[in-house]
Amino acid sequence: MAALSFSASAGEALVLGLATGPVCLATCGPVVVPWIMVQPQGVRGHSRQLLLFLAARLAGYLVFACAAWLVGSAIPHSWTGRSWLMGGIQILLAAALVVYAAGWPHRRCAVAKTTANLVQIGEAPVTKRSGALALGFLTGINLCPPFLVAGVRAAQLAHLSAALLFFFCFFAGTAVWFIPFLSLGFLKRTPAVVAVARMVAVLLAFWYGFSGVSILIERTFHG
Amino acid sequence: MASRSSALVRPPAFRGIGRSILLTLPMALWSLLIFTPSFRQAGRNQHIGAAAVILFMTALFFLMMRTGETYRWRRIFFVALGFLFPVGFIAALVAERGTMSIPISRMVSGDTPFCFMVTPSIILPAAFARTVIFPGSILPTASNPHSIAIMIGLWFALTLVMGKAWCSYACFFGGIEEGFAAIAKRRRLHRFVTRFGPQLRLIPWAILIFVVLLSAAIFEPVYCMWLCPFKAVTEFPAVRNVETAIQMGVFVALFVGLVVVLPYLTKKRTQCGFFCPFGAFQSLFNKINLFEIRFNREKCVDCGLCQTSCPTVALSKDSVREGKTLLNCMKCGACVDACKKNAAVWHLKGTPVAAKPERARLLFLYGTWALATMFGGSVLANGVHTLIGFLPLK
Amino acid sequence: MRTRILSILAYTGAALTLVVAICVPFVLMGAFSNAVAHAGLHIDAAYSGGTVARTIDRGRYTIVVYQPVEPRLLERIEPFVQIVFEPADALPSHVSDEFDLDGDGRPDVRVSFNLPADPNAPLHGDVTALNNNFVSLSNVGGESFSRMVVRAGNKIVVRVPLHEGPARR
Repeated sequence: MAALSFSASAGEALVLGLATGPVCLATCGPVVVPWIMVQPQGVRGHSRQLLLFLAARLAGYLVFACAAWLVGSAIPHSWTGRSWLMGGIQILLAAALVVYAAGWPHRRCAVAKTTANLVQIGEAPVTKRSGALALGFLTGINLCPPFLVAGVRAAQLAHLSAALLFFFCFFAGTAVWFIPFLSLGFLKRTPAVVAVARMVAVLLAFWYGFSGVSILIERTFHG
Repeated sequence: MASRSSALVRPPAFRGIGRSILLTLPMALWSLLIFTPSFRQAGRNQHIGAAAVILFMTALFFLMMRTGETYRWRRIFFVALGFLFPVGFIAALVAERGTMSIPISRMVSGDTPFCFMVTPSIILPAAFARTVIFPGSILPTASNPHSIAIMIGLWFALTLVMGKAWCSYACFFGGIEEGFAAIAKRRRLHRFVTRFGPQLRLIPWAILIFVVLLSAAIFEPVYCMWLCPFKAVTEFPAVRNVETAIQMGVFVALFVGLVVVLPYLTKKRTQCGFFCPFGAFQSLFNKINLFEIRFNREKCVDCGLCQTSCPTVALSKDSVREGKTLLNCMKCGACVDACKKNAAVWHLKGTPVAAKPERARLLFLYGTWALATMFGGSVLANGVHTLIGFLPLK
Repeated sequence: MRTRILSILAYTGAALTLVVAICVPFVLMGAFSNAVAHAGLHIDAAYSGGTVARTIDRGRYTIVVYQPVEPRLLERIEPFVQIVFEPADALPSHVSDEFDLDGDGRPDVRVSFNLPADPNAPLHGDVTALNNNFVSLSNVGGESFSRMVVRAGNKIVVRVPLHEGPARR
């Protein structure tokens, strides 16, 4: 009976994750796409980085699972306080994007000096400061309604391990939707592609920063 | 370097008058065919507008045939389009609701006319959620004939034929900055453009990716709501709070900077070449379009005149050495007309380079100018008709 | 030989492009537009107000209550319910009505507004929340996509924000 209940919960979490996946894809896409454009070319080359990103994202999920289980049902559906956290997370994400975009390969390296064409021959060097962990973790704690639903369900489970497993299955369901990002591995890593990725990251940083500050101001003055 | 005396000598015409007229005849007939319905409509002003456009488009095409040049005649049409579109559009807005701003009530009733520039932003939400993130209507209505289905159908049909040449023959915004770029006699900030041009022309791609991804994430047409400079000369969400006030400020700043000031200073289409994400999107269609501009390496002397003349920095030393333009070439013909060695030529993909450039040019122009007459010509006719309406005639 | 074949294909393609260009105003534009129209697309609920839940007949006019619209994760609107009064020119000069929006049989909000005689005059109204699920609005016009009392053509569109929470029927 316990095993049945356990597998039923896992199945429920997996289905919830699969259903939420498109939302995850849409909301993580803006961060993942420019980031993955600067990773080494080739499916094998950047799949390791994507796995790191997903692992950090899973860490975010599991941290929330712990919090949800420990706090109990104190994270209800209608938790308006999540807006504060969302605002803060978006500001952190903006900062992370700026920091990592600055650290990604740029035109001062030898390969980039060769020519100014839009399409180039030559690969950008691998960067050591890719941002997989930070960006993965920050996109992991997005407090969307399905995420909160998962949190409430996890909080109702008898053991912490069950809650962690619930969120692991939820994560697995959402992670399936990240597989298409592997196709970006075929994109040539020319200096132009890397430059565009940096610009996209900076633009997104502006957006997330503006959005995060707006949310915090809105909450401060309007409650 | 041409001497002053040689500049005063008229070069021989490219083609005789008789042959030029013969080649222009199909375009004249096409114009008549397209605008005949306008003559059936009541209204002297509409008749005058239609007649003016038929003569205008036919005359320009004749001059293209006669002189063998494309760019300067095309530019006349394009600048006219850029300035007459806002005339007709704004006049209609003011007549209907007394203001250029769109009240929120019109957005919720689906009365916002669809602009092609929002097309890249709506693709992902439409594909995955069957949702159009635009406050318009799918089908045309009495209050909104420019519905999403109509405008997307029109855009796709024109793009099939024109590819990125849309930016030189169809876009009713590009002509505004091309007009300002033509005003100044000499270019300033030349060194800035030369030095930073290669990086600047990557910006439209970054903005395209940014807009596409973010629009899918927040389900808002990000370019329309935040980045479109042409809101300043068409319509914009009514200012009702701090956010919409910031948006308005951004629109005006981008318009003044990218569409007026920088084109004047650089004699380049700075908004088109260094900002417009729709232009980057249209560049993708250059991959499948049959027409392009190529460089005959046997004739090219690497003088750089083509690069200087290109309004959107779509040429680099390396690309010219390879005999090609970059992906963002909008086939305006500036480099072809500027090249003194006839090394820059029109080309039909699959044929030998420089084998029959004039044939390639003609094939390109017939299709493109026909659609320019249909689409841009209608806008011009509306603009002329509006201007006539302002005149104190009985 | 290969060059010749490519050239033939190229000129054939160019000729077809010309044919396509001629067909655009008479056939293709309409065909593509029809394809888009039949693609099963709909306008985002933030703009359209969502799907209709039920219609209330008040004799001379009708009130249409819509399903609640919940924002997606990063969508920058509050959850709301739309109520539409139509036709506007059949409405009395003062409207005050209570609505059950969540289908529990008890009224949730009271909507009140004075309808100006001039259809172009600005409209403002009040929404009084009768329980904690909804947000009251005072003298609101077109404040945002989630909070409005506006005249849209021959309809009065009211949008009542919900307190953040799960979707209700």
